[in-house]
Amino acid sequence: MTETDAPLVLIVEDEPDVAETYQIWLQGSYDVRTAETGDAALAAVDDDVDVVLLDRMMPGMSGADVLSAIRSRGIDTRVAMVSAVDPDFDVVEMGFDEYVTKPPTRDGLLETIETLLDRAEQSEALQEYYSLVARRSALETEKTEAKLEDSEEYARLNERIDAQREEADETLGDMESDLEFVSAVRELSELTEDAAGEEGADQLGDEE
Amino acid sequence: MSSTYDVSGVLPGDELDELPPGTTVLISGPSLVGKRQIAIEMLAAGNGDGDGMLLVTTKTSAASILRDFERIQPEFDRNRVGLIDSSGTDDRDGIREVATEYVGSPGDLTGISIGTAKLTKRFADRGVANVRHGLVSISTLLQYLDVETVFKFLHIYTNRVESSGGFAVFTLDDDSHDQQTVNTLTGEFDGVVQLRETEEGAVEYRVRGFGRSPSRWTPLE
Repeated sequence: MTETDAPLVLIVEDEPDVAETYQIWLQGSYDVRTAETGDAALAAVDDDVDVVLLDRMMPGMSGADVLSAIRSRGIDTRVAMVSAVDPDFDVVEMGFDEYVTKPPTRDGLLETIETLLDRAEQSEALQEYYSLVARRSALETEKTEAKLEDSEEYARLNERIDAQREEADETLGDMESDLEFVSAVRELSELTEDAAGEEGADQLGDEE
Repeated sequence: MSSTYDVSGVLPGDELDELPPGTTVLISGPSLVGKRQIAIEMLAAGNGDGDGMLLVTTKTSAASILRDFERIQPEFDRNRVGLIDSSGTDDRDGIREVATEYVGSPGDLTGISIGTAKLTKRFADRGVANVRHGLVSISTLLQYLDVETVFKFLHIYTNRVESSGGFAVFTLDDDSHDQQTVNTLTGEFDGVVQLRETEEGAVEYRVRGFGRSPSRWTPLE
């Protein structure tokens, strides 16, 4: 299947009928890759994959094993667990970003994908928000309050900060949700670790 | 539904009393001036009202914080406290019957967030609607992480407190970081209680933000 500029979703599902149903739902809006086993999933996943829909119960490698392999490789992607078992708090601890109860509805599945695509925008939106706030702090450090009040640059900056904060908060999603909150924070930590781990990742690439 | 958070009596003046759900407060000032004490008193003030309390510690052990709580409030209800200890100390005296999550390092923000999520869920399961969050201190986080990461984490955390109608108090040593860093972080909170030490060694405070005009410097005692 040729891939377009649409977001790329990897469906990991051992039952072909179920995988096909998801594929039909996603057609037109997303590019899709599929994998029937955990091993195939690990071969198919890379930084180009925006969202992984990962079946929890598969013969051989379990969804949890696949997830920890994705995390330890430092792959920049968001993973939703798809499970017939009602999720417990362990979903949060295992490191999933979302979960979908099986069998999912079409709307439920698409909504989960959209939440995870927003999460993918979070880093950039928060980074821009931080840069603007840091610039304002620099101005505040340099200039007196009276000077700031007269400064058009300062007023414009404040407006941009308000707008950017709103945009960033939209990408964050529902922070009252335990799962989404932990997912948002994990996104920060991965960014920090990525910077430290880039050299290691390059070496892995060379061996292949 | 959460109701307002009463913090009257913590500061000698009446600048802060009933705070609306979602309020976040920063206590800033030089080291060793009593910021943590104020933060703990703001949290403990809700214990009698049935509020849950959730405190992240970075340097002080959870056990030592628990002793502080019990010193302030002898009738302290241990069922309404949750502690996330990332201090790495092994002081665990008297902590057994209190909900505590241990995190390896203050730099492990994911671990801290999982710990707080676990304990908020515990409160929710038991019908505790009002939760007071605390984190002491931001300065320790800055020893492990860059200011960008800490800023973003605080943005996410305060966003969570706002959307869940909670209350939160954080502390920051404003003499350990440059002014720009302090300004950048301060902007993330609804208001700040600033502390300073006079040349005679007395401690003064003023309250800024909260949509009001700043208060005057006033002696703390």
